[in-house]
Amino acid sequence: MTSKRRNGWKPFMVFFILPAALIYTFFLLLPIVDSLRLSFYSGSGFIPTEFVGFENYKKLFTEFPFKQRMLNAFTNNIEFFIIVTIVQNIFGFFIAFLVTRKIMGNNFFRKISFLPTTLSVLVVGFLFKLILNPAWGIFDKMLTAVGLSGIIHPWLGDPVTALPALAIVVSWQFMGESVLFYTAGIDAIPEETLEAARIDGANPLQELWYVIIPAIMPIIGIVTILIFIGDFTQFDIVYAMSTTQANPGFATDLFGSLFYRATFSTPVRGGWGMGMGAAVSSLMFILVFSAVMVWLYFFKMKGDGNE
Amino acid sequence: MKKALLIFIALALVFTFTVSAGGQKDGGSAAVSQEKVKIVFTSWRTEDIERMNRINAVYMKAHPNVEVVFQPINDNEYDAQMKAALETGTGADVIFLRSYDTGRSVFEGGSLAVLNDEIPSLEAFPDAAKKAWSTEDGKIYGVPFAGVTHGVYYHKDVFKKYGLSEPETWDEFIKVAQTLKDNGEVVFAQGALDDWTCYEVVFSGVTTNWWGGEKSRQALMAGKQKLTDANWLSAFKAEDQLQQFFPKGYEALDYVSMQQMFGTGQAAMFMGGSWELGVFEDLGSGSEDIGWFPPPLVHKGDRMQYCFHVDAGIGLNKNSKHYQEALDYVRWTSTPEFAELFMNELPGFFAYTPGDYNLSNPLAKEMIAVASDADLTVRAVWEKMSAQSPSGNSLMGEALTKMWKDEFTPEQAAAYVQDGLATWYKPFQK
Amino acid sequence: MSKLFVKHKIYKILLFVFLSLYALSILYPLLLMFLTSLKTTREIFTNPFGLPKSFNLTSYIKLLTISHYLKYFKNSLIVSFISLAVVMVTSSTASYILAKYNVKGRNFLYLFFVAGLIIPIRLGTISIMRMMIGMHINNNLLSVIILSTAVGIPFGVFILTDFIKMIPEELSNAARIDGCSEPGIFRIVIIPLLKPALAAVAIVNFIPVWNDFWFPLVLLKDDAVRTVPLATALLFGQYSTNYGLVFAVLSMASIPVIIVYLVFSKQFIKGLSSGALKG
Repeated sequence: MTSKRRNGWKPFMVFFILPAALIYTFFLLLPIVDSLRLSFYSGSGFIPTEFVGFENYKKLFTEFPFKQRMLNAFTNNIEFFIIVTIVQNIFGFFIAFLVTRKIMGNNFFRKISFLPTTLSVLVVGFLFKLILNPAWGIFDKMLTAVGLSGIIHPWLGDPVTALPALAIVVSWQFMGESVLFYTAGIDAIPEETLEAARIDGANPLQELWYVIIPAIMPIIGIVTILIFIGDFTQFDIVYAMSTTQANPGFATDLFGSLFYRATFSTPVRGGWGMGMGAAVSSLMFILVFSAVMVWLYFFKMKGDGNE
Repeated sequence: MKKALLIFIALALVFTFTVSAGGQKDGGSAAVSQEKVKIVFTSWRTEDIERMNRINAVYMKAHPNVEVVFQPINDNEYDAQMKAALETGTGADVIFLRSYDTGRSVFEGGSLAVLNDEIPSLEAFPDAAKKAWSTEDGKIYGVPFAGVTHGVYYHKDVFKKYGLSEPETWDEFIKVAQTLKDNGEVVFAQGALDDWTCYEVVFSGVTTNWWGGEKSRQALMAGKQKLTDANWLSAFKAEDQLQQFFPKGYEALDYVSMQQMFGTGQAAMFMGGSWELGVFEDLGSGSEDIGWFPPPLVHKGDRMQYCFHVDAGIGLNKNSKHYQEALDYVRWTSTPEFAELFMNELPGFFAYTPGDYNLSNPLAKEMIAVASDADLTVRAVWEKMSAQSPSGNSLMGEALTKMWKDEFTPEQAAAYVQDGLATWYKPFQK
Repeated sequence: MSKLFVKHKIYKILLFVFLSLYALSILYPLLLMFLTSLKTTREIFTNPFGLPKSFNLTSYIKLLTISHYLKYFKNSLIVSFISLAVVMVTSSTASYILAKYNVKGRNFLYLFFVAGLIIPIRLGTISIMRMMIGMHINNNLLSVIILSTAVGIPFGVFILTDFIKMIPEELSNAARIDGCSEPGIFRIVIIPLLKPALAAVAIVNFIPVWNDFWFPLVLLKDDAVRTVPLATALLFGQYSTNYGLVFAVLSMASIPVIIVYLVFSKQFIKGLSSGALKG
């Protein structure tokens, strides 16, 4: 440890820590706790005032259409998460593996891979909505140009393809994050370890399997948990590509868009009121929290004796 | 590293300077306009900014001490933000209100002025319009601003090419569509992605004669009819019939692409609202290129059932800091002068203000002419049936898109909405 | 030997081709966005793939005249710079204590801050809206600035604590012998050494703050306080039938971040990578 003495708290220390602690506590932690509280309230005004106990949750888990919408968002979110995880982890790792080899221009590729991640999800969503437009979209025109007009499809209109389309756009955008993390992991493997493996006669494939993959296991965990948190609160992509109605017919509804619509829309547009909205966000919190606990259990607690 | 940091700091400084310089300029101009009374007018129609500014300029010219600022909020966020602002005393002075329950809930929040005594001329407005922004005991809280209507647009040259004329009945309508289809034309610029168009425009506005207009709507609202009854079901079936005439990829065609497709002349017909006249004009299809006909009748000689929907009213914030000036402005919105101004700026929006108007757009004239010899109604499940969740509006939209994608039969679609409403709508629970 | 060499060469070329295709899949949509924004509406429909016939800036000029785009840009700058500055100041002072003083509850405090990295602030939106309305700063840039700061602090503490720990204690001790006070050590010894880490914190935080759409959407309504992403959404809806303009709107929202990224990509990648490795 850097300092050997055990210090007592001195006024200046409190003064140094307090601003960060206060802003963080009041505007990030407290609102989440307070939202949990509001999920037990109901009311027609903007702020729910009537205490109703578990009534909102009862509705959410048992009544039409709340239960259907919630389960729909849940299964959609799982599907979305699985697609993004697979694409980003496998493809992202592969790209990272390539750019860490001695290939011409690997620095350029590294840089470019992260470019879409810097853009706003909103812009990317709007852009791909235009690209996939059935009447003018460039994607269908490209398919025609290469003789694949047979597979042209109403991508964003068919409930079967709409959600995967959104998931692939999100993967496209955030691929750079996986590439960056995996690249960092591979770069951090000491050269001697790789050298030793080569001397033992390992071919590139064996090197990958026995040295690189074990070394980046924790990073797979980080990338996956970040994807999970991002996907279970994802809203912008649905807003941009399928509107707050999660077209077609809620086929692209995720928890983020459900939360938004339930909370801020009028009943005419599928709104449920603030109390129900708070219940949805509390459920999201429980899901994210559980996932983080599972991740900590598998990736951090086990064999992490170096701290 | 060091160099990058230097650049970063330099950029930061430049930005900070430009920002603070800009800030000062703002402060200066604010001081000048301080003498004027500023009235904020909010709405959900962001597309009208330029047009509303031109209308307000006329008012401001006559009232040089007042500055009317039109500040719309995005349609989706409008209701929540407007309500939140009103409840916390930061609301606009003049407020666009949706008709019936949505507007009513704003009044019940306690922030709207009762206008009966403030604007006596409201007395002369048509009852159907007043009803949409008043309580059962007759307290009016919104000036009926505008109504919209629905029908079918078509390209004149395409109809001419095949010797087609405007259909009067549904059978003729289908025959026209069939002829166009047989000749390889794109018949309708219609899609199933934005589900509200399936319900608000096509079901409410184009199959009106099938479900039967105002009488049926009242009976439905009172629980005396069900959506699975023959007349309502026939409307679902009629709507289902249209699917065969939709363009390739219609499942993914959103509202904007539909407008673009028709406005740029890539489809022969479009089932739409009167408010789209301006959009088509901007896209190069003016009233000399396109024609319009009202919802087709079931049998020749039937009386026309016409969906003339109450769209927007204008409310007054009773806690406004400049109540008198805001009231004067709202009063102006109830005058024929204002009505004529906006009807010509926003063709396809029709005033309820009594008076004789000279409309510049010939199609708008046609649309209003139909109303004089028809029974008027509003959208089928809008009043009362969309006040709670699941609302008639969202159930209808969902059921109809599913029907258009063959996931539901017309019977299933009707039953889905009926059962969904029965979860909370009392008259349906009997 | 030469056969193996050839095989190796072919393998490398294949990988290069593969990476090039990947790069193309990234660059092409972005290029398409810029090129389309330079075309006339007619050209967009008749010649969707080709280069624009002329360098046509009409859409941009129109965008700047019909909307208050410079104002939105200014608002986004205000939010980004103020929140980043506050994050840098508050999290560096907090990190200094957490890294250099073995006070009671230090580990707990560190975990308390770092937990913020995995707590999605959006889930508190309803209460945040309530608070902001209560403080009368909804519909005010200040609300978004505060929230961006709160979100930025965990990452700041995470990176800076680590970095300060690596600064040798001897430097501080030397200053102590010279009679320097503890806060003085922070100012004289630590801050000058902290600059690269601060830059990383600023750059990594800049992107999400600049791109944030959720809180502006929920909290800001007046035209005068719109940020770039919020304005992008509104303009996209408002002018959706004018394709050239729509693509100009998207391009305008992307160009600043792309430039910032290309200029600072080294710091950026370093900042994020160190986060990944520590996990």
